[in-house]
Amino acid sequence: MGSILGDLPSFDPHNFSQHRPSDPSNPSRMVPTTYHPTHNRTLPPPHQVITTEVKNILIRSFYQRAEDKMRPKRPASEHLAGEHGNKHFRASSSAQGL
Amino acid sequence: MFSSGNVTSRVFERQIRSSPPGASVNRARKFYENLVPSHTLYDVECPDHCFRKFTEDGLFLISFSRNHQELIVYRPSWLTYTSDSDDTLPPLPRRAPRFDSFFTHLYSVNLASANELICKDFFLYFPSRRFGLFATSTAQIHDSAPSPGAVPGVPSIDKITFVLLRLDDGVVLDERVFLHDFVNLAYNMGVFMYDDLLAILSLRYQKIHLLQIRDSGHLVDARAIGYFCREDDELFLNSSSQAMMTSQDKNKQQNREDDAATISQPDAENSFLSGIKQRLLSFIFREIWNEESDNTMRVQNLKKKFYFHFQDYVDLIIWKVQFLDRHHLLIKFGSVDGGVGRNADHLPAFFAVYNMETTDIVAFYQNSAEDLYQLFEQFSDHFTVSSSSPFMNFVTSHSNSVHALEQLKYLKNKSNSFSQFVKKMLVSLPFSCQSQSPSPYFDQSLFRFDEKLISAADRHRQSSDNPIKFISRRKPETLKFKIKPGPECGSADGRSKKICSFLFHPHLPLAISIQQTLFMPPSVVNIHFRR
Repeated sequence: MGSILGDLPSFDPHNFSQHRPSDPSNPSRMVPTTYHPTHNRTLPPPHQVITTEVKNILIRSFYQRAEDKMRPKRPASEHLAGEHGNKHFRASSSAQGL
Repeated sequence: MFSSGNVTSRVFERQIRSSPPGASVNRARKFYENLVPSHTLYDVECPDHCFRKFTEDGLFLISFSRNHQELIVYRPSWLTYTSDSDDTLPPLPRRAPRFDSFFTHLYSVNLASANELICKDFFLYFPSRRFGLFATSTAQIHDSAPSPGAVPGVPSIDKITFVLLRLDDGVVLDERVFLHDFVNLAYNMGVFMYDDLLAILSLRYQKIHLLQIRDSGHLVDARAIGYFCREDDELFLNSSSQAMMTSQDKNKQQNREDDAATISQPDAENSFLSGIKQRLLSFIFREIWNEESDNTMRVQNLKKKFYFHFQDYVDLIIWKVQFLDRHHLLIKFGSVDGGVGRNADHLPAFFAVYNMETTDIVAFYQNSAEDLYQLFEQFSDHFTVSSSSPFMNFVTSHSNSVHALEQLKYLKNKSNSFSQFVKKMLVSLPFSCQSQSPSPYFDQSLFRFDEKLISAADRHRQSSDNPIKFISRRKPETLKFKIKPGPECGSADGRSKKICSFLFHPHLPLAISIQQTLFMPPSVVNIHFRR
């Protein structure tokens, strides 16, 4: 484009059509080279709206720690579900002992 | 941010270069290194009032009369004069060492009637509308007759009035009265202001009253948390408790009415705990329950940690409350003994984060919890919230200043026991509202000063005869200015204990230091300003 920025591409060939070069002696191309992305992996999800999180970081950490205390126990309890029957039997006998 | 220390070259540099992104306020504050209140006018003739505070926008100076019944408001102005001498530092005019050269008297308002006194340590400012909240109270009664719903052991005050005043002209806009109640008024401890919400903690009835300050100046009751959590709890409990009452209970109630001296709490007849106490106990239960996945371990843990201490948990009372944001409260619980006194540091205390919208407790910690201390160390700014005035965010704390963090780490390494250190640090939680001065002269990244002699917190300090030095943090670390409280040549009587308090204007290089001997009114007032 003859400008100090050099021949940078654009994604829309109609951009910069209003551009007039600062130095009239240097003829410039009005149509920049266009490049289009070859994949769509980096597109944002449709209808994405970005907003600021309302809860400040301190409150988020309180909730995070509360969730951490709750979470690791559930996978462990599922794992022991098979042996639950035996444990249950022993638990009732120990309760009777007390 | 500036390449030179000279004020002229800084001004020129400011014209051509913008500040690093997001640091425009920090760069503007750098100018306070050059404009310092280095000149002192000693023993200024001033009216005999208790000067309390500059408002955080610097528009008003709040003071109370000696008999604690009148409020007197001044406007800080600046000493202006002309001089025809050619010196770079022309001599000050003769009227300079007078109070009214610096402060114009706006009005005096009588807030307290005959037997009431204004609490001179209480003042909250609502900056967007320039309203001030003051409190008047009658005398404190220590052994008050127990009344239904009151916690025994907490003193009672016959009448506490909160007065909302428009500071522009001194018009009283609204009042809120609490009868036979107790609110800790000293240094704003029992009241917290966040945006337009006020949380007033009634220690005696264990209720958190939430009020909203409307733009018109009205105080509107929003909610009362304590025995009831939601607005319609009272209706629900009354309708269900009537259905539950058996004839036996009805007889018991008749006997209780005859015997007027019996203390009865609202839940004594109903035999279940309600409101915030119920939320707290069920949260503790669920937390201990979720620690283990095995049922026997769970029951064992519950016996050890919950049922063993059950009565202690039930007897906990709310000590102090602060807002964390518009929906969350940080509540400090403790035993009845430490609610009122200031020497409660050795008693066990607990912190809970309560969500007002869902009425859930989110977190519960003991005051020696290292988790809570980590959050306190990292996010201390978020505890001292103030969303309405942006430059209050620049008050130095150990989360936003490397120097303050270094001091904290030094104390941590010096202490013998980490849990004792954690307890000591967490004593300052929940923070009292508007208790720090926003003056840039207290910014640790600009100046270094002795924290024991002077600091941003507005408390009285022991005064020493030596001046307090403010040393610049920039290399070369030179002395920038000194503040010397008391008369110029020191006082003749060196033995009596003197306390001094400092009032710094939030953005002008102007400060007042007041030195007084205990119990003897005549105080020495010095004005420090930039000449």
